Amino acid sequence: MAKKSGNKATPAKAAKRGGVNRTVLFLTLMALVPFSLPTLLVMFVGLLPTIVAAVVERGNNRYGWVCVGGANFAGLAPWLFNLWFGHHTLSFAIEQVTSVTLLLVAYGTAGAGSLLYLALPPVVATIMASTAQHRSVGLQASQRKLVERWGDGVTTPEELL
Amino acid sequence: MASDQQSGAGGSVSLRDRYQIYPGTPLLDLATPSAQAYHAEDRRDPKKSLFALIARPGHPVRIDAMRALKGSEGPGLMTMVEWGVMHWPLLNRKVMAVVYERPAGGRVMASITSEFKALEESELIRKAVTPIFEALKVLRSHNVTHRAIRPTNMFWATAEKDRIVLGDCVTVLPAFEQPVLIETVESGMCNPAGRGPGSYTDDLYSLGASLAVLVQGRNPVGHLDDDAVLRRKIVQGSFATLIGEGRMSLQTSEILRGTLCDDPLERWTLESLELWLSGRRLSPLLAKFEKRAARALPFAGREYSTARELAVAFCKNWDAVAPVILDGRLELWLRRSLDAKDKADAVSGVLRDAVMTVNEKRTAAFDLMVAKTCMLLDGRAPIRYKSVAAMPDGIGGLLAVAMVEGTEVKFIVETIVREAPKGYFETREAYSPENSIMATLYRDQKGFLERASIGNGIERVLYELNESMPCMSPFTVEDYVLDIRDLLPALNAAAKKVDAKTWPIDRHVAAFIGARANFDMERQMGDLTLPDPDRSVMGMLNLLALIQWRLGQGGLQGLATWVGTLLQPAINSYHSRERRAHIEKEIPRLAREGSLVELSRLLDAPEERAQDAHGFAEARATWASAQREIKDIEEGRVNNTKAIRFAQQLAALISMAIAFVTVVLLLLSRWF
Repeated sequence: MAKKSGNKATPAKAAKRGGVNRTVLFLTLMALVPFSLPTLLVMFVGLLPTIVAAVVERGNNRYGWVCVGGANFAGLAPWLFNLWFGHHTLSFAIEQVTSVTLLLVAYGTAGAGSLLYLALPPVVATIMASTAQHRSVGLQASQRKLVERWGDGVTTPEELL
Repeated sequence: MASDQQSGAGGSVSLRDRYQIYPGTPLLDLATPSAQAYHAEDRRDPKKSLFALIARPGHPVRIDAMRALKGSEGPGLMTMVEWGVMHWPLLNRKVMAVVYERPAGGRVMASITSEFKALEESELIRKAVTPIFEALKVLRSHNVTHRAIRPTNMFWATAEKDRIVLGDCVTVLPAFEQPVLIETVESGMCNPAGRGPGSYTDDLYSLGASLAVLVQGRNPVGHLDDDAVLRRKIVQGSFATLIGEGRMSLQTSEILRGTLCDDPLERWTLESLELWLSGRRLSPLLAKFEKRAARALPFAGREYSTARELAVAFCKNWDAVAPVILDGRLELWLRRSLDAKDKADAVSGVLRDAVMTVNEKRTAAFDLMVAKTCMLLDGRAPIRYKSVAAMPDGIGGLLAVAMVEGTEVKFIVETIVREAPKGYFETREAYSPENSIMATLYRDQKGFLERASIGNGIERVLYELNESMPCMSPFTVEDYVLDIRDLLPALNAAAKKVDAKTWPIDRHVAAFIGARANFDMERQMGDLTLPDPDRSVMGMLNLLALIQWRLGQGGLQGLATWVGTLLQPAINSYHSRERRAHIEKEIPRLAREGSLVELSRLLDAPEERAQDAHGFAEARATWASAQREIKDIEEGRVNNTKAIRFAQQLAALISMAIAFVTVVLLLLSRWF
């Protein structure tokens, strides 16, 4: 019973820890608002697909928003650099976010990242299936060696596996 | 035990490389009912007149008496010069041989029914009593009873017939060949094989009975059968039965009355006999008769007036006894007609115990009730249970003869399992430490009988109760194995003749080992009984190896080869095929060395066993893990999950790499 309750506590703690991280991130961003409002504005508008992906993605392995985010950031990066190395003002930021080019490039690269996330698993699965067949043959060979050395008694009936 | 050689047809066989026994020269006048006599010679002293008795093969002999009496000399004893086991060409097997100095005057009485020249009363002391008295003194000094004193087993020591010597007493069980006439009433009631070694007073009774025959020159009751002789002894007393109307001197009458006294407590002892021989007059013993009832008890068509007669009748009509006890007739008769209140109370107690027994065990309880009732009616009588009648120290002999002759042993087994000996000891009037020892002995035997596994059972009881019993296994029976030292050589010799698929340890061999080994082999004996073939065959090997190691016996190539062919289940108990192959390769080599100990070490090495078991467990785990993985691969379960996760990770990694490279390139373009 004690062990069970211990196991139950682990995901709860993880969830709590995730919540804290998000709060810290949110507070940090809020703290940056007075000092870097132009950057935040450009990033909020440019990285909107990433934010949506991070919010809607579910499951244990949440790699989708990372994939979208990486490509999305790569597309937005030239405008961010223009802001940082040019006029880091709110008016220039508004001018940039209203540019169709920025939106097309940033959202387009986000879409490319999304496509990459969807297209890669089937390709990798095909490659791994081929590897697994090879491994299966190897495992069967090692099983035969075990039987040769230890006799049929070394095998385990299917129903007991 | 003895070396032997045969020097051609009609030649001789050697006992202990000294005594030559001639199978072609039988001596019919010296034979006994159980042993054949043959001419024998001493190589060192060819002039000495010797003969050898060859005991009946397989039958128990008296080893303790042989050990005690070898070389003992006395004017009334036929001197035993040697004994031992030797190969006997006439039977093509080993037998027990006993070499005696040959009496020159022949047998005193040819058969118990024959007539001969009566011994004059004036010669009785000089020719018979004095030498036999000396013989009995020698026997007592060796703590051995003779139990074969009878006119047909007496010989004239010299051609002049001036001295009688007692014949052989060791080639057969005590009193086995004694006629009822010569034995005490109690001993006469026993089955001949169940009379036991008895006591010196039994020998004195036999001396008295023999003297009665000698002075009359005939068997005075030769016309009667054994039952009639016994009945007459009970009713009239032994003296009256053996002497009858015979007239004799007061002196002769005195010794006969003293030695033939039916009460063993009043019977003459060796000291009484010595006093009589020295001319002292002893108080004359008057015959005591059984107390007679005022009214006879009718039973099985006859009427009985004494408790002893009634007990004999009960034993002859076993199945009819229980109703007489259960309806209270016996108790009433004892109380009112015989005025034996103590016996009546005791019978009542026995009845109460039997009736209180649960229904399932009631038949057994009633049989024990009858046995105990007979013990109470006749306190001196032997243990009687159905057809069994034996003294407490004679049950072993009775069992031995029954098993050798292949007759029914069921009632002997019941006697022990239902604790008739315990009932016998409980009904004794006086405490005896010997009885306590025997009670413990029979309790152990009951335990052996209740465990039916190999090494126990009736065979174990046979060897526990008979020190002189050779191993009766078909593998060893021709080798007359008396000592455990002779067992492995006998099995080694048997290996050439037997079917190699049979085990060298059968029920007789296991029981013989259990009874004779003086070292602990409980574990090996326990393994022998296990149902797993590999464990039981290892038990067999380990037991034989233990004996070989403890006794330091080598060169058992035949036995080792025989055992080696039986070890396949033990070899198969190893999982490693390499180990099996190694063992199979080693067995023939160790068998050629004749070493069961090395065979045992090879197969039963604990470290090897542990390694094998550990390795096998690991191999099983590896096989099962591989099988699970193969199954997952075949069903595509693990592939999809892993591949998707891997691909997602890869996509994320590529995306992050693109972002990183873009940032780096933009930084570079700004700076340069």
